[in-house]
Amino acid sequence: MSGVGLLPFPVVVPLGGALLSLLGARFSRQAALVIGTAAMTATLGVLIAIATDVYPDGGRAMTYFFSNEHPHGGHSLGIAFTADPFGLTYALLVAGVGLVLLVFVHSELGHLGKRELGAMACLIQFLLAALIAAGLTADLVNLFVWFEVAALSSYGLTGFFLERPIALEAAFKNLVLTSTAGFLVFIGAGVLYRETGALNLGQLHEVIPAAPTRASLLAIALLVAGFATKAGLMPFHGWLPDAHSPVPGAVSALFSALMVGLGIVALARVSLDVFADLSQIRVLLTVLGVVSALAGALLALVQDDLKRLLAWDTVSQMGVIIIGLANRTADGIAGAVGHLVNHGLFKALLFLAAGAVVHATGYTSIHDLGGLARPTPVLTIAFTVASLAIAGVWPLNGYFSIGLIHSGLEDEPVVLAAAIAAQVVTVAALARATYVVFYRRRPEPYEHLERMRPGMLAGFVTLALGCIALGAAAVPLVDGAAAPAAAVLLHPQHYAAAALGTATSIGSAEVSVPFIDPVELLVMVAEVAAGLVLAVWAIRTDRVMRALHWLRRLHTGVVNDYAAMAAVGIAVTAAILLS
Amino acid sequence: VIVLNYVAAALVFSVGLLCALGKRNLIKIVMGLSLMEASTYLLLVSLAYRKSSTAPVLSYPPSGQNERTLVHGNVADPVFQNFCITAVVIGVAITGVFLVVVVRLAQHYRTLDSHKIHELRG
Repeated sequence: MSGVGLLPFPVVVPLGGALLSLLGARFSRQAALVIGTAAMTATLGVLIAIATDVYPDGGRAMTYFFSNEHPHGGHSLGIAFTADPFGLTYALLVAGVGLVLLVFVHSELGHLGKRELGAMACLIQFLLAALIAAGLTADLVNLFVWFEVAALSSYGLTGFFLERPIALEAAFKNLVLTSTAGFLVFIGAGVLYRETGALNLGQLHEVIPAAPTRASLLAIALLVAGFATKAGLMPFHGWLPDAHSPVPGAVSALFSALMVGLGIVALARVSLDVFADLSQIRVLLTVLGVVSALAGALLALVQDDLKRLLAWDTVSQMGVIIIGLANRTADGIAGAVGHLVNHGLFKALLFLAAGAVVHATGYTSIHDLGGLARPTPVLTIAFTVASLAIAGVWPLNGYFSIGLIHSGLEDEPVVLAAAIAAQVVTVAALARATYVVFYRRRPEPYEHLERMRPGMLAGFVTLALGCIALGAAAVPLVDGAAAPAAAVLLHPQHYAAAALGTATSIGSAEVSVPFIDPVELLVMVAEVAAGLVLAVWAIRTDRVMRALHWLRRLHTGVVNDYAAMAAVGIAVTAAILLS
Repeated sequence: VIVLNYVAAALVFSVGLLCALGKRNLIKIVMGLSLMEASTYLLLVSLAYRKSSTAPVLSYPPSGQNERTLVHGNVADPVFQNFCITAVVIGVAITGVFLVVVVRLAQHYRTLDSHKIHELRG
């Protein structure tokens, strides 16, 4: 079978695996794990087979039309999946990291009953299927449907432990904010269809006039606000840190590394592949990105709960990725795509390690922890490698994607300054967490340390090696994958043609990333040094904490306040787009 | 006439949003979200309307018309109705999950006041 015919399978297989896991778990404890692993391995295999058709020769895009409903005279109402270097990169990330997380979760939660294990595997595979489909789909309402499938699975996963009050609290906040976002996307897609008659993203790009009607602009604003909620961008982020704290480490990793990426992918499609001519979106995304990057990093710096700290850092990293996308240069977009993948690896690793720390010690606050370097060397190495990768230390993967985003911002000094400031604060936040949890001496030894299981060990090793390998192979990967992905987003006409059924050659964007660049290295060293100074300051004195107290006070934990923040965000989004 | 529907949809949506922002009772927040959801259905079904159109039902055409004239004639846009039925199904599932969470929250915290459920903050 050719690559095109394979396109439905990466979504169908995990959906089937989800149902089979649920059924199989009734009979055997191992069934959910075996079925889930088999399904995700098969999915990854199919995606790699598709990738061999998509990435070579600077990138190509091809489209599968469900139930053979091909476009007619440039109109397409059927559902279409388009494999292009950008969407496929995200799908590959989801399948690969998803497989690791699925194995990890069964190792971490092996003490649960077989029904719980089956339900967990089922929800995770539904979520993974929805994310892969969101990367591949070329239809706006279909994208909404996968958005909702991902949202429903995430509600189930957040509130999975119904006996934990904080898990329920987090699930409720997630429900309020994400379902509101779902309504926004739904209205946006409906109004756009009414205004243009198009659902297919390619057709939408072709028919949207250079000066869209006010109704279309409002619809685009609603789409951006809805997807920004999923991506956890400020001020739509209220659900994100809460949803990450009370769930097992592997589920937090799933949310942070993969699920928020759905919002990023959808925002990239909307802002670059469909409405590429609207300059207001660019302004809007830059504002959202800068606010998220800075405030998220600052909140991570003053956070004491280990997993919540990492969740705030996710807000910040999503902001950085959006800054790169909004930049609309080849470097910036390639960096953003690369950072989406890199963030998926190192944030998954961080959350798995943090989850294992909580699992082993029973403590969640970094002040109760400390001195873990000696008793748990593997965990320490894993967390340290991931922190160094986030900090952008050469030659780990983060160095290259952050460097690309920064070099794309050369013509925008203000945004560049904000991005570098966010990077410095990120280094400080992660350095503080790593030092306090692992390297600081703890007065009394732990009473009890839970042992690590082999599946968990495998997860750490795979992801840590992934961070190192992606860094070592950065130059060929940027040339072979990130540059074609950037080309898809830079040249919407190619994507539009592909989504409407013409097998298209994308070509590659002009992106260069030297493996060793003295100037970049100096900038990196300066950032890390500044970050370490800030970290020492934050650990030694409470001045940083007091200075940022107002920012923490803003997050009252009351669901009404978070909804109000999101409402303000919607109003601002609409105002910027309609201006 | 159809403009009235848009106004009604906008009003219902605003009432729902105000519930989510202002009401402290969790059940009322869920009701607010249900109102927002219902308003989206009203909006989309109204968007499907064309002036003096008939329902997009092709079997049993009215006397004097056949399927072909119906398709080329003036029917309401069936695509919106497809969206709505999809969204109704999703909406029911979400409301179900919502209420499960509210019931369990009420059991744990012995309250439905959103201002008393804020262990996760900052």
